[in-house]
Amino acid sequence: MSRFIATSAIRGAHSVIADAEATLKDALQKMGPETPVAFTSTSYFLPVIFGFTGQKITKLGDMPAALQHARSLLPPVPRDNLWLPYLGETLDAGVATLFAEEIIEGIRFAKGQQPEQYNGHKLNGPIDDVQMRSWGIQMVDGRMPGFAAIVGAAKSNEVAVEIVRQLQSRGQLVFLCSQSNGRSIIDQLRESGVDLGYDTFTVTFGTDTYSAVYALGYATRAALSFGNVAAGDIRKILLYNKFRCFAFVLALGQVDDIKYATAAGAINYGFPVIADTVIPNILPSGVTRYAHVVSLPFDDLPGKDDLEKAQRLVQRCVEIRGIKIKIAQVPIPVAYGPAFEGEVVRRENLRIEYGGKGSMCFELLTTKSLDEVEDGKITVVGPEIDAVPDGAKVPLAIVIEVAGRKMQTDFEPVLERQIHHFVNGAEGIQHIGQRDIAWLRFSKSAVNKGFKLKHLGDILHANYHNHFGAIVDKVQITLYSDPEKVKQLMGKARAIYSERNIRTAGLTDEAVDTFYSCSLCQSFAPTHICVINPERVGLCGAYNWLDCRASYEINPTGPNKPVAKGKVIDAAKGEWEGVNKFVYENTQMKTDRFTLYSIMDQPMTTCGCCECVMVLLPECNGFMLVSRDDYGMTPCGMTFTTLMGTVGGGLQTPGMMGVGKYYLLSKKFISSEGGIRRVVWLSKNLKESMEEELKAVCEREGVPDLLDKIGDGSVATTVEDLLPLLEKKGHPALTMAPLI
Amino acid sequence: MPVEIPVEKWAGKVNEVKLGGNGRKSIVIGGETTLPFLKIDGAMPHRPAIAVEVDDVMPADWSPHLIAAWGDALEDPAVWAKKAAEYGADIIALTLDSAHPERGNTGAAEAKKTVEKVLAAVDLPVIIIGPDVAEKDNEVLIAASSVGRGQRLALGNCVDKNYRSVAAACIADGHVAIAKTPIDINLAKQLNILICDIGLAPDAILMDPTTGGLGYGIEYTYSVMERLRLAALIGDKMTSMPMICNVGEESWRQKEARATSGVPATWGDHQERALAWEGITAVSLLNSGADIVVLQHPRTIALIKDAISKLMA
Repeated sequence: MSRFIATSAIRGAHSVIADAEATLKDALQKMGPETPVAFTSTSYFLPVIFGFTGQKITKLGDMPAALQHARSLLPPVPRDNLWLPYLGETLDAGVATLFAEEIIEGIRFAKGQQPEQYNGHKLNGPIDDVQMRSWGIQMVDGRMPGFAAIVGAAKSNEVAVEIVRQLQSRGQLVFLCSQSNGRSIIDQLRESGVDLGYDTFTVTFGTDTYSAVYALGYATRAALSFGNVAAGDIRKILLYNKFRCFAFVLALGQVDDIKYATAAGAINYGFPVIADTVIPNILPSGVTRYAHVVSLPFDDLPGKDDLEKAQRLVQRCVEIRGIKIKIAQVPIPVAYGPAFEGEVVRRENLRIEYGGKGSMCFELLTTKSLDEVEDGKITVVGPEIDAVPDGAKVPLAIVIEVAGRKMQTDFEPVLERQIHHFVNGAEGIQHIGQRDIAWLRFSKSAVNKGFKLKHLGDILHANYHNHFGAIVDKVQITLYSDPEKVKQLMGKARAIYSERNIRTAGLTDEAVDTFYSCSLCQSFAPTHICVINPERVGLCGAYNWLDCRASYEINPTGPNKPVAKGKVIDAAKGEWEGVNKFVYENTQMKTDRFTLYSIMDQPMTTCGCCECVMVLLPECNGFMLVSRDDYGMTPCGMTFTTLMGTVGGGLQTPGMMGVGKYYLLSKKFISSEGGIRRVVWLSKNLKESMEEELKAVCEREGVPDLLDKIGDGSVATTVEDLLPLLEKKGHPALTMAPLI
Repeated sequence: MPVEIPVEKWAGKVNEVKLGGNGRKSIVIGGETTLPFLKIDGAMPHRPAIAVEVDDVMPADWSPHLIAAWGDALEDPAVWAKKAAEYGADIIALTLDSAHPERGNTGAAEAKKTVEKVLAAVDLPVIIIGPDVAEKDNEVLIAASSVGRGQRLALGNCVDKNYRSVAAACIADGHVAIAKTPIDINLAKQLNILICDIGLAPDAILMDPTTGGLGYGIEYTYSVMERLRLAALIGDKMTSMPMICNVGEESWRQKEARATSGVPATWGDHQERALAWEGITAVSLLNSGADIVVLQHPRTIALIKDAISKLMA
């Protein structure tokens, strides 16, 4: 807590209260206690006082009680030798200030001095209920993030206009009040011919700082209308605004005691205060979600001129308040949507390709800190498309840097994998592969419509905000088409990929205390639930533990929920109390136990989406694995399709289980029954497509020649044929402990 | 030998939702602590209610039997609503179909007028349904919401695309939201969670799980509803909302209710067959947990009223 700010705010509060007391005394004497008091068309009385206390002020005579309450909140001005004024005291001083200001404005209304007449114009004053409700709905449904209460005057008229334009373009309401050095932003905008009013989302409150209380009256009423909160339940009103109303105070020009005091009032609502002058910072979060007070001296802001500085100022305000960006339409010259995802760009229509055979292309997404990333910055380093002849093959590096308060390095690969899906949405653009085997083909028709390399950046920027806004606040993209540069960066990228591989491999079940569930398939298999652990990919093969974790961060009400492991029941079989409890509660009480590493004792259930089915072959003392794309007969006497009828739908069948094919490679692959040594038969296509990986696993498990001993559909489709082969080759399963 | 009837003890309870009030007749639905009509296991404190569909424009493609039954009333929603009340409707379900971009594209101003008129014509609780295009729904429902402030209307449809706006209007004006999802228990639950997150109280939400007519997916609807209800009875608060089913529209648009020629003679009299279609669909869905059925034909109102009385007895 800044001592300077606390002292100024408390001093300011004292002066506003003294002013209110004097004004009220005078008004009571001259006009009498029965004089009615009301703001413009509202049924919320003096809304801040009503929200905080439930008191309905309708006449001057109701005011002394509220003002006494304000006085009682007021801490003494810190003495010079007191070094630790509390944040709490400053906040109380802020509330006292708001009460006093609202009382002063109420008296002005009683005297007919509000809304203010200024320079021949009538200012708006407080927002009426009808408008508050209309904007309130937009704030709830997300079309309008919140408001910016601008206090003071900008460096110049041009800067004032640019700030307001930037805020309007983000759908932010703009409230205008107060002045600095005798100038008000209201003057600046009016002189520049800016249309002010409800239609343009700009509201003029008044030319002194007291009128800023109308912003908080608006916020209070929004919470009362849309937050299901009763007047007087101030804690809920303030929390509603902290989490739902993305508002902030922007102090332009010098900040005096009264502005500090009023700002302290705003901070109670979770609204941070940003100043364009040098004042102390209060950076830790707490009452506000992020920083409380941030000083961004205008001339020190980056930017080549004042307009760029103004843009930067608004951008920083948006960040400080944590306002999320949504981009309704991807700004590219070709159509965009899921319909184009499967499109192939054939040779006849090929204009340019990046990567592919004999060329280089890679994509890399990394995390940076918030101030290292400039949102929406797209840079092309090297030749653009128009500088490259038809049919050329050019190297490319897509380097994405993201920043976000909830971003984690573990999410990088999850986000990076989306490039494929995002880029393929563009008509006439084909994307294949990932990491350093990425390959892009642009069609002639897309390029003729004006599609350029930089539009890849637009696609990615928009999509990361729209789909991953919960974890990503800022995205900048650099596209390198300069061969030297790509070559140089490729080494760096590969080092990062390899680091990620190692990290993923090192991610063990023991290392985490939370698994994730997946209930995506409960629509058709209501009693099935997946529990996904780091060492076992989801049975559909589509979700691993990291994906689920990211999915939960992005959409906490979605299909992936954290499952606390809880106390271990059986480490060898992989059974935990927390998992059992979760499974019981989420399978309509159909399944009460789940083991993660056993197929014989309470195995996991299957929805019906599994990549492979694993079945016990008792005669062989082992298991067979048949994959979904193997249409042939298997030694258990059933094809994959017939097996699905037995094991799918959430049934727990010991000796049978649906698995993802990569589970075969895990150290936890049916570790309770002896792991890969128990595999006696494997679909041929699986055996071939995963040959390298499987060999490595056999090696790791100390049975390097195992793969040759495992049967497949080309040598045996019955147990009678399989068993002699296993015996002949000396398959280890035959001599292992009996499964039954 | 005496047979002991096994009794299931449920932990959960369906929310009680009130519609109407504030000068208007009110009705409470929900509150079950048992499967539909199974009084051995628990209580079913409120009868399922019958809502009758009233459109703001003359329906273009309705069956001649429906048109004949309602007559001139179809031309004026206020008259129509009055007549529906006479036939025994518990609730009026006013559909603002004219706001559909292809069926008139009327806006907030027209919606306000129609809602005002219907609210003035009857004192029954009222449901307002938009044209089923999320954007237009928002426009007309928010207008309707302010007109009916404090009269606890039910506003639908509140879907994943527009739930924030509809929920916000319900909070601000004290209405009930109809959360509609496409025949999926997870989506139904998720939408309830999202609406509650906005701040609408759970007892201000009805679920429309989306209904298939008899022979057109009713068994799927039935299972989804049954499972939603089972989940509620097990104690899942986010599936404990009473359910509303749009029976009339789903039944009358099927071939069996429409076809007058070129069908086997064994299908019998056209009108009786069409009425049976609506009646059987309604009874089936009541048995799977519907708390409100929206009907179209006057005769079905009487039929279902009688069926509910018998099932409740």
